[in-house]
Amino acid sequence: MDNTMNISHRKSALISSRISLPRSTRRKYLLFILLIAPAFLLRLITAAYPILQTIYLGFTNLSVLKGTNAFVGLDNYLAMGTNIGVRSASTFTIVFILATTILELAFGMMIALLLNAKFRGLTFARTINLIPWAIPTIVAGYAFRWLLDDQFGLLPFWVTQLTGLRPAIFINPLASQIAVILVHTWKDAPFMAVILLAGMQGIPEDLYDAARVDGANAWQRFWRLTVPLIMPLTITMGLFRLVWSLGSFDLVYGLTFGGPGVATSVLALQVFREGILFFKFGFASAISVILLILVAIIGVIGLWLFRKSEISY
Amino acid sequence: MNKPLINISLRRTMTSGPTYLAFIVFTILILLPVYWMTRSAFATSTDLIKLPLIYFPQPTLRNFATLMEQVPFGLYLRNSFLFALSTALVTLLVSYLAAYAFARIRFPGSGVLMWILVLSMALPDIGTIVPLYRILKTLHLSDSIAGITLILTSTLTPFTVWVLVSFIKQVPYEIEEAAILDGASLPQILWHILLPVTMPGMVTMGLINFVNAWNNLLYPLSFTTSPSAKTLSVAITEIYAGFSPWGKPWELIMAVGVTMTVPIVILVLISQKSIVRGLTGGAIK
Repeated sequence: MDNTMNISHRKSALISSRISLPRSTRRKYLLFILLIAPAFLLRLITAAYPILQTIYLGFTNLSVLKGTNAFVGLDNYLAMGTNIGVRSASTFTIVFILATTILELAFGMMIALLLNAKFRGLTFARTINLIPWAIPTIVAGYAFRWLLDDQFGLLPFWVTQLTGLRPAIFINPLASQIAVILVHTWKDAPFMAVILLAGMQGIPEDLYDAARVDGANAWQRFWRLTVPLIMPLTITMGLFRLVWSLGSFDLVYGLTFGGPGVATSVLALQVFREGILFFKFGFASAISVILLILVAIIGVIGLWLFRKSEISY
Repeated sequence: MNKPLINISLRRTMTSGPTYLAFIVFTILILLPVYWMTRSAFATSTDLIKLPLIYFPQPTLRNFATLMEQVPFGLYLRNSFLFALSTALVTLLVSYLAAYAFARIRFPGSGVLMWILVLSMALPDIGTIVPLYRILKTLHLSDSIAGITLILTSTLTPFTVWVLVSFIKQVPYEIEEAAILDGASLPQILWHILLPVTMPGMVTMGLINFVNAWNNLLYPLSFTTSPSAKTLSVAITEIYAGFSPWGKPWELIMAVGVTMTVPIVILVLISQKSIVRGLTGGAIK
């Protein structure tokens, strides 16, 4: 008993020597605050305060062009129910974030498995894997728009040569939606692969050796070892992607600009349109609040999932 | 003793077929849009609208010359570079200070502050675009590189702090302790002692943030209106929107695309390992 006390005492002495940089506790606090002040000031001015502003503006009809600025309660939120752009964007946003996140996890896992294998060309594969991540999203949007162009795009040209059909992707709502989802997957699955690969490489090789000795084949090793062991990482990344996809606006801006009609518009694009293009600050802020609520919902689900997955190990 | 060797070579021959097939499909999928963009950027507009399609048109630099003549292309390029460089540097400075505090000064509540900072990453950038527009107006920073740098720096700081904290924690405290005993001041420790050993982490995050800023569309598009502040990402959207009697000027759009992509891809290819370390640094310990 005495002994353990002693050890823990020594431990705390050690820890306090870590923070003995400034002599007194007071100076320590002051130093801490001074060091984090620039970062927190930035976040206060450009994140915390704007969020509160957004929530407030969502209850007003502030519009620069119309010259209105009055408190209107829930009018903006009620107006969303009849606004075709926002209604369509809400539905597609949900489909978009779920589909892209699932596809990015699936393709990310496949790419990670490929990059974790041993073959000639591995370095080349790992290098080009970063290209989709590095290409500016807006450039990727335009490159694919041109690649899929119904007249002079490469892929429709091949389809025409093979089948005689003439696909016109960007005048078809469903085809455009699929294109947005697949191009977003092309852009972000390799990034997912980088993270999952690092997770896979963190699994001790002994576990695989032991499984081999027990007669597990590659398929079983993947499903019984790799998948459960990187599940917490996969869930975390999946949640991050859901949240990030919610705010994603560049790709849709370049690939379809929400078209045809409003078929591929997402809430993020609606905020930009209403707020920055039409200067309807009040209405745009209300749509932003919907986005923030979605982030909060994903966050709560995420915490719950994370707790669950942690308990099961 | 020979058994494992045989086993390995057997496994290799067995897996190599499907692995190579996957490798080839992967390579085509990644490089196809890159090829299409490059091919179109160095072609004449008439070569792009011929059927059957020409896979390798006669290369020409004419599109870049046209860009120079018709838009302030050099200025846009300079703005993109300035925006990316200043964002990367200011973010590093702000994040390094905060990361040092979080990594080395511990007391009840410091962990909570760190989590608040990291969780603020989850806020969608677009959600605050309207208030930010008004804040920049008030600060007389709208339509300036300084303004968009300020805002993007704030957006990139949480992730940068998160990664740098883990880099600083890997440095043994004894090095600083010895310096303190020698009477070094805090700025001296930060600049002369800790910075050299955390340099790999700083370079990594500097590169990642440079790429992020160079590629950023939302802030320049929302907050800049004059050529003296617009970046290449804004320029490409304007050239796309600008109409030509024969449809979209794809050869020019792709030429801007190539201009934006080449520096970034070169940067990524030469510093691949460093960037991967940074990208995974936050997610994995």
